[in-house]
Amino acid sequence: MANAKVAIIAANGSLFDAYKVFNVATAAAASDEDVGIFFTFEGLNLIHKEGHKNLPLPEGKEHFQEGFEQANVPSIEELVGIAQEMGIKLIACQMTMDVMNLEKDAFIEGIEVGGAASFIDYAKDANITLTF
Amino acid sequence: MDSAKLLDAKGMACPMPVVKTKKAMKDINTGEVLEVHATDKGAKSDLAAWAKSGGHELLKDTEEDDVLKFWIKKG
Repeated sequence: MANAKVAIIAANGSLFDAYKVFNVATAAAASDEDVGIFFTFEGLNLIHKEGHKNLPLPEGKEHFQEGFEQANVPSIEELVGIAQEMGIKLIACQMTMDVMNLEKDAFIEGIEVGGAASFIDYAKDANITLTF
Repeated sequence: MDSAKLLDAKGMACPMPVVKTKKAMKDINTGEVLEVHATDKGAKSDLAAWAKSGGHELLKDTEEDDVLKFWIKKG
């Protein structure tokens, strides 16, 4: 099978955003697609070493916590592990890291750091481009 | 139906049935059948779509007592 290429921008940092990004990304990788995610601004929370384990629910949506438990949804930590195991490319935005004064060691292992041009280079021949 | 392997994905939510199916497929040979049991209602369309996009063949699927069963032939 010829693989499709999926380029995702993760620009938001709540638990909902994390599920949107990692569910689509891991489902794509499970379908043998080549997947890359560019994490920028609040999206960096999704790969922050500690932050990704305890992402906030959006304001006013805290009551969905119970729904997540009942639906037996995998944790973000688990999904991040699956994403890495499946070879999904995780790119942290250098500029946001500079603005937020974060170094590469603040993030989970195995990420790449790059600027917008790195993402554009990855995404230029993508078949599917998504922004969350 | 004879299956080379059984994957129990009951209780798992999206995207885990598909992720686990992908992994389980690695353990069988082309032409062999993987049987998957799931309770995620989304799995019905997801596994069908997954099989199609991966070049596999969904031979059969059933639903009994809220358990969805799939037989996927590896392509």
